[in-house]
This record gives sequence, structure tokens and C-alpha cells, in this order.
Amino acid sequence: MLPPIILTSIISSFLLSLLALGFTLQYITLSVPNLAYGTIAFASSYITLTMCLAKSSPYLGVPLAFVLGGGISFLLYKFMAFLRDHGISLLGLMISTLVFDLTIYGCMNIYADFIAYTFKAYTRSFTLSEMDFTFNGLPGILLVSSILSITLITIFYLILMKTKFGIAMRAVMENYSLARVEGVNVDLVLSISWFFVGGIAGIAGSLYPLWFYMDPWVGARILISIFAACVVGGLKSVYGSLAGGFIIGALEILITHAFASTLGSWIWSYRAITSILIACLILLIMPKGLAGFISRLREMR
Amino acid sequence: MIELLILDTVVFFCIYLIFTLSLNFQQGYCGICNLGLYLPIIIGALITAYLPGRLAMKIYALDPGLDFVHQNAEILRLLKMQLQNNPLISILILLITIVGAMGISALVGYLCTYPALKLPETYLAVFLLSLAESVRVIGMQTREIAGGVMGINTIDPFWWFGTYTYFGSTAFIIGVTIIVFIIFHLMCNSPLGRLLKAIRENELTAQCVGKNISAIKKKVMSFSFSILGLGGCLHAFHMGATVAGGYTRVDFSFWPWLMMIVGGTGNNTGVFLGTFFLVIMRRCMIILKHYFTFLPFDVIWLEPILLAVMLVLIMIFRPAGVLPEKTARIKNAQP
Repeated sequence: MLPPIILTSIISSFLLSLLALGFTLQYITLSVPNLAYGTIAFASSYITLTMCLAKSSPYLGVPLAFVLGGGISFLLYKFMAFLRDHGISLLGLMISTLVFDLTIYGCMNIYADFIAYTFKAYTRSFTLSEMDFTFNGLPGILLVSSILSITLITIFYLILMKTKFGIAMRAVMENYSLARVEGVNVDLVLSISWFFVGGIAGIAGSLYPLWFYMDPWVGARILISIFAACVVGGLKSVYGSLAGGFIIGALEILITHAFASTLGSWIWSYRAITSILIACLILLIMPKGLAGFISRLREMR
Repeated sequence: MIELLILDTVVFFCIYLIFTLSLNFQQGYCGICNLGLYLPIIIGALITAYLPGRLAMKIYALDPGLDFVHQNAEILRLLKMQLQNNPLISILILLITIVGAMGISALVGYLCTYPALKLPETYLAVFLLSLAESVRVIGMQTREIAGGVMGINTIDPFWWFGTYTYFGSTAFIIGVTIIVFIIFHLMCNSPLGRLLKAIRENELTAQCVGKNISAIKKKVMSFSFSILGLGGCLHAFHMGATVAGGYTRVDFSFWPWLMMIVGGTGNNTGVFLGTFFLVIMRRCMIILKHYFTFLPFDVIWLEPILLAVMLVLIMIFRPAGVLPEKTARIKNAQP
């Protein structure tokens, strides 16, 4: 039986790496950080809650969460593409992600009120860990999150490296205009990739309440950790963001635990700050993150 | 009743005008994309929660065994008895708090620029947003500063106005807002304003003519953070309490952004109009929500959706705002 702190850091690492992967990919393709990303991901948590309230397995909501996250992400991409074609600046595009953030935030709260009204349940701050299954003394979320994360990352890697679509996607990520000139259907490639990473975010969000506490503001708070993971990994590196997600997900828990053991459990309230401190430190000593550090090592050889 | 409603609207208009003018100075004039606008606002509010009450306790030598957070109501009752007869001490406390809030906010603004200058513009926005959320978490979790999640009541430096306390506070906020508006108007129409616009348009060109971009950005960040800290301080004093959790990104960052975008970035008069229009609209929504109690959800959640819809409409139909920035004409310029 693993100690709870190790369990928490493993689950957090897997979920955060999925979120950081999507956030970075979306940033690379349009050069705009998607501020709605956290809210898109955690809107899916309410699917898991609904499943549990309907006396069904919380994992049955995972495919639905993929579709919801992917669908919203796809719509957001289309909206941003529309604005970009109308000459809106990068700042305007970033504001458009805010528009989605606010809309989803409002809708999520309305839905939370609605299911609280329908099921007479508390929907503002909840955890569904009691609804999870156990396997050999381990919580189901550990197995599901690790298997799903590894599978999704492998699928993503295979698509990116071994398929024609992946080549087109890499070309778009490298140089949007050149890829278009070369005949790549940029709009289709970006639509599919935004749907895919939005779906991944939806899955991560739907699994989150099975171990952690969830409330409608988690999406805003988790953006701190996602941002830190991207900074640690390197702002424009997909693989770096995966590594950054694992590192921040684990360090956030382990460092807070280390301080909590010496200073007291009150330190846990400040968990969210650990990641921003790590990000600031990385920005000062290694501005290009792990990806920049590795490429510098290569150049030195 | 209606007079109070009008005064309340005027106060909120003034406070939001301070926020939007400061945002316009950063984003509209200098091109610094600050989505974490509520970072210095929270700092100002937290200092207002922490400093004046404890300072007054020291001045009036109240029992040091009294805990400002635990025995907040009792301490405020004792302080009110003293302060309502002593305008000089009240003004002194008010000024010290304002200076403290502005100074610490300016320092935070200055420190923020170090990591911020290493980031691309759009990532800077996420960095500042994350930092603001972190400070909000600190405010919510640290009971000693501002009472934690439950918040804390603060002293009112206008108790000496007696039954006109509210009017005194309102007049002070209006006065400060007028001063802030004049300062921003003068700065933006001076050579400094033109330099900031030059940096916004093309940093490289400004650098080529010998301007130290990072030093200027540090000064802009520090100055606008100090004004935002002042706004946070005034807001906390006016509310009479500080609840750190209430300083959300929607209310204290996204709404000022919308006000600026609606009015027109890089134009203080436009920002004035945008703020006026949206503060009135929000007040109407707060009043009208009581007529929608039949819905199976709290109607307040329609507010962010409405904000989003307005942003979309403005971005599509008037991307430069109601009063777009005027193009500067250079005298004797060759055609």
C-alpha cells in the first residue's frame, strides 16, 4: 500500500501533465495562451458528479467528458479563427479565450445550481473519492489516471511522429504560413488537434474530483499549476510540457508535504503557491525551461 | 434610499475608473498586458484590513492582549469611540494606510517586472494572472492578515463625520478619483505619453533611439500598481470590510478590461465613458436580479455570460471601442 502523499503526487502528476500538454499545444498553434483551458477541463467534473448522483459509475462519464472538452475546445478554435480572419490582434484573440472562460464559468455555475436543485445535493465543493473502486488496496483513480495518461500520450506521440496528419501538424506548429503555402489544410489540422487536446483536458477534469476536492473555481486556480508546468518544461516544447507537468504535479505535493511536516498542516492551504514560486525561480535561472536547458547541453557537446 | 443608491453607484464608478485608468496606462499606452489587475488591488485591500486597525490600537494604547481578528467587533467599537472625536488621528491613519498600500503595491509591481520581462507578451498576462490568484489564496488562507475566508471589518477614517460618515467617505473617493484622472490625463498627454505609445507600437525602434525599455516598463508597472493599490485601499475602506475571497478575477480584472475595451484603449475619455456605461449596467443587473427568483439557479451567474456576450459584440463590431484612440498629427510633417 502506497502512502497517501505518494498516491496524491502520482495522480496529480499524471493529470497535470495531460493538462500542460494540451495548453502548450494550443499555445504553439495560435501563439495565444488559452485562458479558458482550466475552466474547459473542469467543466467535465460536473459530468462525473452527475453520473455519481444518478447512481452510476463515475468512469462512465469519461467518454462524455472527452466529447464535451473537445467540443468546447473546437468551438473556441473556430471562434478564434473567425476573429483572426477579421484582423483581430493576438491580444484580442487572448481576450476571446476569456470570453469562453466566462461563458463556461457562468454555465457551469448554472448547471451546479440546477443539479443541486434537482438532486438536493451540495454541488459547490465536493470530492467523489468515496465513489471510486479499489484494486489490491489501491484507489481506482490511480490505475485509471496512469493507464489513460500513458495511453493518450502514446497515441498523441504516434499520431505526431508516425502519421501524415502528424507531419502536417508539426509543420503547422513550426510555421503556420509556410504550411498553408505548402498545401496543408491548416484549418482542418488545427480543428482536429484542438478537439483532441480539449478532449484530453476534459478527461483530466472528469477524473480530478475522484481524488481531489472540486469547486467551480478550481479551473482558475489550476491555471497557476499549468502555467508553472509549461514554464518549467519550456514555453514552446510539447515534450517539455509533459515533463514539466510531471515535475510540478509531484513537487507541488511533495514540497508542501515537506514543509507541512516541519511547520504544521496549515501549510497545505498554500499549496497553489508552491508551483508559482517554482515557475518564478525557473524563469530567473532557466528562462527557456527544461527544453532550453537540454538544447543548450546539446549545443555544448 | 434613492440618494444612497446614486451615491453608491458614483462611488463604484470612481473606484472602477481608478482601476481602468491604471489599466489603460499599462495596456493602452505602454502595451503591458496585465490580466492580473487584481493583484495590487488585493494587496491594497489586505493592507487596509491589516494596518489601520492595529495602528489605531497602538495610538490609543488598547490592551495588547486584544486580538484584532478574534475580537474585531469589540476593538472596532472601542476605536470608534476614540476616532469619532479625533479627526486629526483619523486623517493621519488614512494617509499612512494609503501610503503603505501604494508603496507596497509599487514594490510588488517593480518586482513583478523581473520575471515578466523575460516572457512574451501573451504569457506575461498568464504570469500576472497566476500571481494575482496566488496572492488571493494567501489572503484567503492567512487569518492574521484579513481574517481569512470570513474576512474582517476595518475602521472607518470618516467616523468623525458623525451621521454623515458615508457622505464623507464618498466625497473623499470622488476627490481622489478626480486627482488620479488629472494625473493620468497630464501624463498621457506629455512627452512621456508619446514615449509610451512609441514603445507600444515598436519596442525595437524606441530602443534604437536610446530609450531604456525595461527601465521604463518597470516605472510604468510600479506607478500603475501603486494607483491600483490605492483603488484597492479605497474600496476596502468604503466597504468597511475586507474579504480576500471576494477579490475575484471576474470582478476586479475582467470587468475593468471590458470597460477599457468598450470605451477605447489608449484614450482616457473613452475609458471614462466605458466605465460609466458598464457600472450603470452592473448596478441595474444587481437591482433587477431580485425579479428573477423563480429560476432554478442564481441569476447572478448570468452576469459573466452577459459580460462575455458584450465582449464578443464589441470585438466584432467596434474593436477599437466607442471612442477610438486619436491619431496624433505632427506639425509641419512632410506628406
